[in-house]
Amino acid sequence: MRAKSGESALQSDERGFRPLLRKGHRFARDAADRPILMFEEVYKSYRAGAPVLRGMDLVIERGEFVYITGASGAGKSTLLRLLYRAETVDEGRILFMGRDIARLTDTSVPFLRRNIGTVFQQFKLVETWSVYENVAIALEVLGLPQRLIRSRVGEALERVGLAGRGECLARVLSGGEQQRVAIARAIVGEPALLLADEPTGNLDPQLALDILGLFEEINESGTTVLFATHDRSLLDVRTRRVIVLDEGKALDVPLGPPSEGELLELPH
Amino acid sequence: MNTAITRRATRGMRREWRLHVLAIFSLSVSFVCLAMALLVVTNIHALSERWQTTSQLTAYLKEGAPTDQVTELREALKKVAGVTSVEYVSSTEAHAEFSSKEAKAQDDARNELLALPVEAFPASLEIRLDADITRESLTGLVRQLGQFPVVLEVETYERWTERLAALVSKGVLASGFFSVIVLLSVLAIVGSTIRLVLHRRKNEVEVLRLIGATDSFVKGPFLLEGGAQGAFSAALAIVIVGAIYLLARTRLHETIAPFFGIDIAFLPWPAVILIVVFGGIMGTVAANLGLRKLVTV
Ligand SMILES: Nc1ncnc2c1ncn2[C@@H]1O[C@H](COP(=O)(O)OP(=O)(O)OP(=O)(O)O)[C@@H](O)[C@H]1O
Ligand SMILES: [Mg+2]
Repeated sequence: MRAKSGESALQSDERGFRPLLRKGHRFARDAADRPILMFEEVYKSYRAGAPVLRGMDLVIERGEFVYITGASGAGKSTLLRLLYRAETVDEGRILFMGRDIARLTDTSVPFLRRNIGTVFQQFKLVETWSVYENVAIALEVLGLPQRLIRSRVGEALERVGLAGRGECLARVLSGGEQQRVAIARAIVGEPALLLADEPTGNLDPQLALDILGLFEEINESGTTVLFATHDRSLLDVRTRRVIVLDEGKALDVPLGPPSEGELLELPH
Repeated sequence: MNTAITRRATRGMRREWRLHVLAIFSLSVSFVCLAMALLVVTNIHALSERWQTTSQLTAYLKEGAPTDQVTELREALKKVAGVTSVEYVSSTEAHAEFSSKEAKAQDDARNELLALPVEAFPASLEIRLDADITRESLTGLVRQLGQFPVVLEVETYERWTERLAALVSKGVLASGFFSVIVLLSVLAIVGSTIRLVLHRRKNEVEVLRLIGATDSFVKGPFLLEGGAQGAFSAALAIVIVGAIYLLARTRLHETIAPFFGIDIAFLPWPAVILIVVFGGIMGTVAANLGLRKLVTV
């Protein structure tokens, strides 16, 4: 794991969710190489007769940067919501670090979420709080000492380019800056997995590229990133794995720059 | 206590101080009723305690009772086991004592009593008894006294003790009633303010859930705020009752106190602390009930 894992969220969840590697346990040597996420035959519908996911299979390896795309209503948000247990699957399993998310008890859901950073189109900041408070809260729930929180929030704000803006109220920031605060909050606990649901949806194209760059930097430091978007211009920026959601299944667009034909086939 | 939770609670209270102040003022009204009832109860209780332990008898004498017979009775009484002293109070002395008490209390209505002739106040024998005298020997003594021809009437003060005891139990009942009122108003007022505050901070709660806050971390500040509302309301009520007490004390001491022979006392400290703690606990419970609809996962 990461250099700072001694203080990371993974170690502090004494009671609830635990990653696969448990202290004192001897696991197979390849434990760390196992996929971080596995969807097995996942079914999900909100209303009878209108399934969103229909037997979806998907494997995501540690350290990957994956785009999730598909038409509006294809189930991109649903997929992410299943991961942080805002929804539960109807059938099938989702394994996160080897643990079945659906079988977590309600009391261990918070411990799952401490391992997953989330970023949304609507930022989801507490607007009456300062930038610092918005980021620090992610560490306060872990019960870390204030001194440590201060230094790590400082680092996180620096990573997203907001060094020295900690005292500002969140609501006075521009959209792009607010999204940076949300990203800082998502990464300050050093989660294993970072979920982004249309994080650039409210931003102009240049800002969108900046934010994408930020996610790429975060990914380079080892965090697995799932980036849901229907903005094709972002998909073209770099060669990445692209998952298309269509008819309730995940279709893997092969690695490599997508050909014209494939892009045209994207459901719209 | 988690500092992040207390910080969020104080921040929330500062931001919505108007709401909290309003709740505290409306709550303190019912706490004032409770504190007042308790104040009355403690004082009546103190009075009945005092009168129970005085062990005093007054034998009122017939008008124009012959002095030798009175002296004889007095001597006889002094020999009775359990009697510590016997004192003769003449009509004139009784009148004088009453007047001196009344002189302090400048109450026009009572001045009419002063106009009464000296004869209106019967002479009496004030009999002081051992504090541990048994009930049987007391009733025996009263019966014997009644048989003396010079004795008009024997005042044992027992009736008063009984009446006071009845008053105390009525007061306790009233306090119980006010406690229920307080309870209901705390549930209603704290419950609804917390629901309102929760609604205003929906966004905050959503964020907390998202970043993996536990149930208690999410609820903590709301419970603290509810508890603080209850405790502050109780404390405010104590301050109000205390102010009323201080304002009324001088007057009460001049009018009522001399007749009963006690000072009107304020609520004892343990009772004050208990009321505030009761308020705090009730507020927390009410806040918890107000949070029922909060789904944390
Ligand atoms: N809470 C809900 N209750 C009922 N139906 C829902 C709910 N959430 C989503 N849906 C439905 O499920 C389907 C998938 O929705 P979802 O939000 O996952 O799509 P999406 O791919 O994220 O779309 P978009 O690109 O517009 O964000 C849609 O048809 C939507 O109407
Ligand atoms: Mg969506």
